[in-house]
Amino acid sequence: MKMIIGGAFQGKSALAKKEYPKIDWVNGEEADWAAVRKAQGILNFHAFIRREMKEGKDVRELAEWLIDCNPEVILVSDEVGYGVVPMDAFDRAYREAVGRICTKLAAYSCEVTRVVCGIGTVIKHA
Amino acid sequence: MMILVTGGSGSGKSAFAEDCVVSFGGEERVYIATMYPFDEESKKRVQRHRKMRQGKGFKTIECYTRLERVQVPEDSTVLLECMSNLVANEMFQEDGAHEDTVASVLRGVRQLKEQTGNLVIVTNEIFSEAATYQGDTERYQEYLGKINQELAEMAEQVVEVVYGIPIYHKECAPEGQEGSGDDEKPVEQL
Repeated sequence: MKMIIGGAFQGKSALAKKEYPKIDWVNGEEADWAAVRKAQGILNFHAFIRREMKEGKDVRELAEWLIDCNPEVILVSDEVGYGVVPMDAFDRAYREAVGRICTKLAAYSCEVTRVVCGIGTVIKHA
Repeated sequence: MMILVTGGSGSGKSAFAEDCVVSFGGEERVYIATMYPFDEESKKRVQRHRKMRQGKGFKTIECYTRLERVQVPEDSTVLLECMSNLVANEMFQEDGAHEDTVASVLRGVRQLKEQTGNLVIVTNEIFSEAATYQGDTERYQEYLGKINQELAEMAEQVVEVVYGIPIYHKECAPEGQEGSGDDEKPVEQL
């Protein structure tokens, strides 16, 4: 598993597609679990987490499930935890869920790249 | 040794900070808890953190305001969590320091630093997002931002935790090896 993370609109997806030109990507804004669990690469993974939560699904074990059934996936996700604590309870829960899930996935990943202004810095290489 | 641990929400800052404290060795560990459990959500959060600390031998001191009143044993290792809560309490609670928040918090940290050898402080990055704020919230960002800068100045080590991965922004040579003129070490991976 590898992860490409960073703030919104930093060129993460473009960098991911350039790094891995041959794989098929699904988009977390529309893909369901059946697609995500088999995908070679997932863009906007944070959006998948948000959609699952909006549908009332329990995402606490999502990282474990993904590691279990798709351990080689390339994940692209926004970092969403760098702002003031949101007023809205769902937004707070979502923000924390993305953090907890991605922290577990980063611990499992062999490589984590953080993208700022289109420039990727490898922050973990195991 | 003072370590400042920062990062976003849910990034694994606490787990990292606890590991720092445990790796210091030492017999006495003090946890200064600053989150005031005012509703169900914060009570759950406190429970979660208590569970994480279980078995690590921490004595807990609750301090919601006026950090300068806290007394800790001389040779203890102290973990203060979290600066963002303490600052909010000082600003918005009735017995808080209000407009004197920045000075009051920094006074408290300096006193802690004088009392103990090893101090780990957890703070929070709340400064990068699209939304803009006014009034109290903007002032809160301003105060916490100022405090974070001062703490980073005081600390020997400043670490940002990104999804559990430490990124060292400041790391000075251990005591006894100072004066080389080169305080910066390359980024280390754990």
